[in-house]
Amino acid sequence: MRTLLHCLMPLVRGRRAERELDLEVDFHLSMQEQEFRLQGMSAEAARAAALREFGGVARTKETYRERRGLPWFETTARDIRYALRGLARNRGFTAAAVLSLALGIGANTAIFSLFHTLMMRRLPVKDPQKLVLMYRTGGWGRGYASYPLYLEIQKRTDLFDGVLARAGVDRVRFDAAGGDRLETVWREFVTGNYFAVLGIRPALGRLFTDDDNRTPGAHPLAIISYDFWQRCFAGDPSVVGRTVKLDAQPLTVIGVAAPGFHGIGVDRAAELWEPAMMKGDSITQPGANWAWIVARRRPEKSRAQIQAAIDVLYEQHRNSVWGVNVNAAFRKIVMAQRLEVKDAGLGISLLREQFGGALGVLMAAVVLVLLVACANVANLLLARNAAREKEIALRFSLGATRSRLIRQALTECLLLAVAGAAFGIAFALLGESAILRFLPAASANPFRISPNAPVLAFSIAISLLSALLFGLAPALRSTAVDPAIHLRPGSTRVRTWQPTMRRLLVVTQVAFSVVLVALAGLFSRSLSELRAVNLGFHNQSVVVFSLDFPNGWKPEARHSAYERFLDRVQHLPGGALVSYGSPGPFRGGSASRTMRVPGSAVTAEPVWINFQSIAPHFFETIGSPVLAGREFNLSDTGSAQIALVNQAFVRQFLGGDPNPLNRVISFDDSKPVSHIAGIVSDIPHNALREKPVPTVYLPYSKGLGDGPDILLRTNGPGTAVLPALRREVSQLGPQVTFTEPRTIRQRIDETILEDRLLATLGGFFGALALLLAAIGLYGVVAYGTVRRMGEIGIRVALGARRGTVVWMVLRDALLLVAVGLAIGLPFAMAAARAVGSMLFGIRPVDPAAFLLTGTVLAVAGVGAALLPARRAATVDPARVLRHE
Amino acid sequence: MPTGEPKTDILQGTLDLMVLRTLESMGPQHGFGLAKRIQQISGGALDLNQGTLYPALLRMEQRGWIKSHWGVSDANRRAKFYEMTRAGRKQIAQESQDWARTVALMERFLRPAE
Repeated sequence: MRTLLHCLMPLVRGRRAERELDLEVDFHLSMQEQEFRLQGMSAEAARAAALREFGGVARTKETYRERRGLPWFETTARDIRYALRGLARNRGFTAAAVLSLALGIGANTAIFSLFHTLMMRRLPVKDPQKLVLMYRTGGWGRGYASYPLYLEIQKRTDLFDGVLARAGVDRVRFDAAGGDRLETVWREFVTGNYFAVLGIRPALGRLFTDDDNRTPGAHPLAIISYDFWQRCFAGDPSVVGRTVKLDAQPLTVIGVAAPGFHGIGVDRAAELWEPAMMKGDSITQPGANWAWIVARRRPEKSRAQIQAAIDVLYEQHRNSVWGVNVNAAFRKIVMAQRLEVKDAGLGISLLREQFGGALGVLMAAVVLVLLVACANVANLLLARNAAREKEIALRFSLGATRSRLIRQALTECLLLAVAGAAFGIAFALLGESAILRFLPAASANPFRISPNAPVLAFSIAISLLSALLFGLAPALRSTAVDPAIHLRPGSTRVRTWQPTMRRLLVVTQVAFSVVLVALAGLFSRSLSELRAVNLGFHNQSVVVFSLDFPNGWKPEARHSAYERFLDRVQHLPGGALVSYGSPGPFRGGSASRTMRVPGSAVTAEPVWINFQSIAPHFFETIGSPVLAGREFNLSDTGSAQIALVNQAFVRQFLGGDPNPLNRVISFDDSKPVSHIAGIVSDIPHNALREKPVPTVYLPYSKGLGDGPDILLRTNGPGTAVLPALRREVSQLGPQVTFTEPRTIRQRIDETILEDRLLATLGGFFGALALLLAAIGLYGVVAYGTVRRMGEIGIRVALGARRGTVVWMVLRDALLLVAVGLAIGLPFAMAAARAVGSMLFGIRPVDPAAFLLTGTVLAVAGVGAALLPARRAATVDPARVLRHE
Repeated sequence: MPTGEPKTDILQGTLDLMVLRTLESMGPQHGFGLAKRIQQISGGALDLNQGTLYPALLRMEQRGWIKSHWGVSDANRRAKFYEMTRAGRKQIAQESQDWARTVALMERFLRPAE
């Protein structure tokens, strides 16, 4: 330890202290020397005598140096040893405190880690705060825009220092060398200036320039990410100049991007970049929306100024492109569109829109959990300190200062917090992987379970904060003792503040729990409302998937493969019925066209109508009755001019006609009209939350090569046929795969991820807070009961009934719960209103959920008081009174 | 923790009290002056390495009983001067009391049995 100090000292105190010590000693020696010389010694003898008097200069300095660093180090070491001894002696207390903290810190770390990834992490690019996204709203998808618009915006050098465009990251077949290894890679199509605008440097080779993105189809080049280079090419520098195949298209690798850069999308890490011009001929058309436009704003331009300028620009752009010769319905959508200038420093993320709100709510919830945990530890500390009152009084009278005792108490808290943080981080890693397993692979993609610096810093910061939070008040309280009173014999229970403070803490815990339990109740009620939505069909175990062919396959080959496949699947053991359709159920896609019902005033102007192209037996497969008429049969497929419509369609466009069969619809102002052949139920196709949308079903007429969703109804559980399906697919040809075979139920589940996440985690955190509060409640009630044992003994001796005694204790607990409820409920209602928009089918102040909250808390209160009540009821008055 | 100080706690406390008393009666002093004064008062009965004074001064400063500043000595040289703080004054009262108690206690043992 001495050597350690020795090393630390110069660092801590610096050279100045050392020089001062030298000066002081020199002064002393020369004064002494002078004195001896005045007494008549020779200069030499005087010097020697002075040194002798002083007694070892080096040794003194050494002692001095040690002493200099000692107080802090010594007392801290002593405090830690003392605290460790105390904690080891009180194992139950230590375990309870560390566990409480670990749960609170763990919950915070896990949720914060997700929150940080999605909501806080800035892109690893130059000046990310200057990046803005031109986000298109108002129809035909959201976010992305067209290439001609991009070119217009790029001209505005008065607003921007650079404007880039990219397509969403997609997954493609990738072939590194000669074709034996089949892999996929995440690819991002980008403009030539992409890397320059972002300020990304190459790790190897070169990056794209504008010259690499001029002519459609003419730039077969690729840049790969650093990680991908390491993983797939083992960091081999000869990768530059190599040819790789992407979807059978050969591309030359010209460079590797800087490490840590994975594109500007958050949801998927891009591994390979390709010039946007390689996307195909149609990308430059004004109607093709694919480009996410991101710009670096000039430092002097604010986002509001840019928004104003972009509004004008977009207006002109629309008028020049869509101004003439378009149908009115079309024009309506065009005019509803707008470009929102959004901050893009965090990267582009659709998941942020999906989960952002939920993560915010969960973050608030875990902070409450941590507060409840802190209250619990504070409560435990107070209880333990009460037992140590005499010890503390004794130490006071032995001369310890209050600040020393407070410091000692806080050291103990710090140790508890450190242990809590260590376990908490371990819990967080486990918890996070559980949460991620709960998300489908696509949504879990951006989240990586590795403790990174900001997350660890967060955990440590909240641990230290909670140590202060739960430690300071008990430390101050426990050291406010008067030895004169507390050392008097028999004066163990003089103080009254302690129970008061503990009761306050418990009330706080209950109040926080009320908020969490109420939210959990609301979210689970909302989820069950969603689950209870009438889907209009009942075969949710139908398996849905589509086939995926390599790029080289001709449409005819695909078509015949589909037909072969459908025929075989029909006769699979376990398969009952097969049909197909597009865009398919709960896929997040929609198709629409303009329509008129001749003679109807509602469609005097053509309107946009959603349509689904479906094969025969579609409704039979999913288990939805045809309400009138018939569904398509084999003879309809192809060019038959018939259609099915849903009830919403009848209500909105046919005026609720009780007999709508054989009425006609004309699409896109074309002459041949379609006759309505049947009426079907309203079926939500994309989300449980959507209100019934007027929908037309048309016979599937396109080539099968376009890849409709195949629906397979099975006799047994849906997943049982997967191996057989896989076999059939592999027989279609090499490299043919199928995409995401899922039951409709699974697909529905994925559309309500946010709700499931909130209900599940909200419930978990609610239960956690409740448990912690119940423990706190138990502690206080048990303590109170012990204190009142004498009184209870007298009551029982005087003939009080057991029931009365039990009620006495229960009443105590329920009173605390009631006060907590009274304080917590208004907050819970405010919280409920804040999350109102996330709820489905219930109002924020849902009576059922709040009634449930009250009941759950009352039950928890009774549960916590049960043991102390039993003990009180079975008390032996003779023994208690003798003891008194 | 080994500190390299050969003295017992009692002696340490004694030295503290001597320094404090000296500072109280003489006002601010540098280390050499303190050492001389203590030697002088003890009449040579205290066999003390002058050097041990400095770690003790540092310790007392760390405890807040004394404080130090750099000044100029009579001999016109830069020297570090020590002076009492209010806590130091309290400490004298406290330690004097302790001493009186110890002395009284020891006396009872040393007095010939009655």
